[in-house]
Amino acid sequence: MNNPRRRRVLTLAGIAAGLLTLAGCAKDAPQDTWQPAGPNAEMIDNLQQPVFLVAGIVGVIVMAAVAWAVFRYRDRGQAIPEQTHGKPAIEITLTIIPVLILIGVAIPTTSTIFDLAKTDDTEMVINVTGQQWWWEYDYPAIGDNADKYGLSQPIVTSGQLVIPENTKVLLRVTSRDVIHSYWIPKLNGKKDGVPGRVHLLRLEGSKPGIYAGQCTEFCGLSHSYMRMETIVLKRADFDVWVANQLAPYESPAEGTLAKEGESLYIQQCSRCHQVNGLADAEGNLIVSAPEQYVVSGAAPNLTNLMTRITFAGASWDLLTQQCRDDVWKASANEFGAKYLSGVSADCLNQKDLREWLRNSPEKKPMYVDPTKLQETNGKYRGMPALGLTEDQIDALVAYLLERK
Amino acid sequence: MITTSSKLLYGLGAGSLAAGFVWFITNEGQQLGSVMFAFLAVAFIFMGAIASYTRDGHILSTDTSAHGSSAAAQKSVGRSLWPFGTAVSAGVTVVGLISSPGIFKVGVALLIAMLAEWMVSNWAERASASNEYNIKVRDYIVHPLELPIAGALLLSVIVLSMSRVFLALDKSAGAIVFAVAGAVILFFGTLIALRRDVNRRVVGGILGVVLLALAGTGVATALDGEREQLVEAAEEDHFAHRGCTEEKEYSDKKASRAVAMKSSVQAAVILSDEGVLYAEVDGYETAQTAITLQRSNPSTILFINETDDARRMVLSYGKVVEDLGGGVEKETALEACTSKVEKGGQQAVTVVIPKPSSASDEPFTITVPGVDGAKIDVFVP
Ligand code: HEC
Ligand SMILES: [Cu+2]
Repeated sequence: MNNPRRRRVLTLAGIAAGLLTLAGCAKDAPQDTWQPAGPNAEMIDNLQQPVFLVAGIVGVIVMAAVAWAVFRYRDRGQAIPEQTHGKPAIEITLTIIPVLILIGVAIPTTSTIFDLAKTDDTEMVINVTGQQWWWEYDYPAIGDNADKYGLSQPIVTSGQLVIPENTKVLLRVTSRDVIHSYWIPKLNGKKDGVPGRVHLLRLEGSKPGIYAGQCTEFCGLSHSYMRMETIVLKRADFDVWVANQLAPYESPAEGTLAKEGESLYIQQCSRCHQVNGLADAEGNLIVSAPEQYVVSGAAPNLTNLMTRITFAGASWDLLTQQCRDDVWKASANEFGAKYLSGVSADCLNQKDLREWLRNSPEKKPMYVDPTKLQETNGKYRGMPALGLTEDQIDALVAYLLERK
Repeated sequence: MITTSSKLLYGLGAGSLAAGFVWFITNEGQQLGSVMFAFLAVAFIFMGAIASYTRDGHILSTDTSAHGSSAAAQKSVGRSLWPFGTAVSAGVTVVGLISSPGIFKVGVALLIAMLAEWMVSNWAERASASNEYNIKVRDYIVHPLELPIAGALLLSVIVLSMSRVFLALDKSAGAIVFAVAGAVILFFGTLIALRRDVNRRVVGGILGVVLLALAGTGVATALDGEREQLVEAAEEDHFAHRGCTEEKEYSDKKASRAVAMKSSVQAAVILSDEGVLYAEVDGYETAQTAITLQRSNPSTILFINETDDARRMVLSYGKVVEDLGGGVEKETALEACTSKVEKGGQQAVTVVIPKPSSASDEPFTITVPGVDGAKIDVFVP
């Protein structure tokens, strides 16, 4: 070690390795499988920690052996040693040891896989449907959902999946268009949403909070903007959430800006977006028809838009930075109340929502150029730009603010 | 010096240059074409230059030692089929341009194949001074492609002909004919295999005759058309019976084409042997009497009949009202049905329900006509 140059190289290598290690200690890592927040993710973590350890030790031993052999037998001009063929004792040992290690790893792996696939203790079932580029959740109003969780009517929402704490929730994951994949790293592994198929995924959160995830199957243009969050609420808070989702529609007061927004909404938006309970001037309920305009046949249900705090594939906040931090960083005890207060006029992130209404495809790339829709019979993939004026946007924002 | 072959190459180079100019003038703003032609011209002129420099590979007259051994001194090679083949392929391509894209594609494929063969042969003929060696290199290069393609072509002739015969013959007759044919082939095959000194030509001849006979029968039966039942089945849309109308004779009862579709369904609806209708839904442990289908989502539902009678499943999901003008409205019930299923059979239907069930006056249901009280509620949120 007296060669200064070699010492320099070693120091640099050490610094690089140190930096890499430090990079793993990112403080704000919302999508970290190494920080499980529920029993399913814990099962995975309990498996991967020892496996990683074993793999690490084996890796270090192998690397060290290679390095040693390279150094020990380097060419110093010595004669080529006698060449022999094979050493059965070593070969057999070196086959048996890895086999034993792999068997040792396989046993807990298999049992974890089966544990994770268990569904007979399910307490709540939610349908999860992926489409380009957002997730829809619908809570069926049958079985335990109706009997034990007060779901007298189905709930349809998007982006943020809300589940009660310490409850074994079973997601039935599918897709309306291409393959997507649902992954909330802190709660469980991932499951593909495949058109025409139903895949089951258990979710259970043991601490109230927001758990972020991202579609993990490349699904086209805005794949990177296809995010999702799972919200874990205390049971009492969850009941409040359900009751609020099912509350009857309230039309804005006559003469307000929001009322103007309602009629604009009926003209411009209701053909794609459902608002439950919204009726036209004659009192007929309005049923949206996204199947006529959107390739995957659906658009987010906006009945309770402002109870979610992110929008458009959970890619933008509906809350200003300060209000956002207030909810995301709330303690487990305070979180429920903060989340349930939804988006107020003061906290609304006007900038992103307005940009969305002004020109959604500019914010999130989507296939909505009217001149290029021959292949899809004029249907959009995503939400088209609607050419709204600023006054119209004011009215729509006022209307949407009341959707909670 | 301008030699024989460099003349051609220089000519092509000049032609490409000219074409590049014409392109540039006629397609303003679109330079890609002219760039391509320019590249072509450079390539041709480069090759021309090489030809000039090497004087087409001829040796100097003063170099007497090479007179007997040079390539040019070897006996000329045999006639080549490829120019003829290329001409025919070009003809096919032109015919295809006029008549149908299918023929055009075949023509282009043939043209490419012929030109490739021609190029390789041409090159191989000059590869060395030894004729024998030249043939060997040609085969070495071309056989790995030629043999599999020829084999595939031969196989497709056999398969196509046999399948035409199958489709034309009656179901049971087909089985008999091919069982007999198989036995005969096995018999003669054994005979030939047992004899050591069979003449290769004899075997080849027999195989050739058999192949011709097979292809001939194939063409004849293809012209004659498929058997009656298949024609009728095709007319009534054999495998796609999804309507709720009177069932036709050939609609597919086994739905064997739908294995993938049945592998992961939204719900399996079962009519038990006591006539009770229930649903098995992935994610629910117990039998269900209500199911939820996502709106606008293609959903497959599998129907299993365990009763002794043939039954069908009917999924009703509201109705559409069409305004025919003048105050006249036409109501159409929205339904999806399986075909009738025998005991133990399964049938799947895929439906896309665009409207929520809450928006319909009548509830959405799954029923089995003829079985009282058999009903499953369907919710679409
Ligand atoms: C042609 C159909 C269509 C029309 C019309 C339409 N949208 Fe959308 N909208 C969509 C689709 C599809 C999405 C999902 C886009 C995504 O996130 O990838 C969407 C997303 C949204 C979102 C985000 C919702 C969420 O939960 O994430 C809002 C808010 C929204 N639209 C508001 C409006 C308003 C307001 C109007 C009327 C001015 C309107 N939209 C008109 C199709 C439409
Ligand atoms: Cu996706």
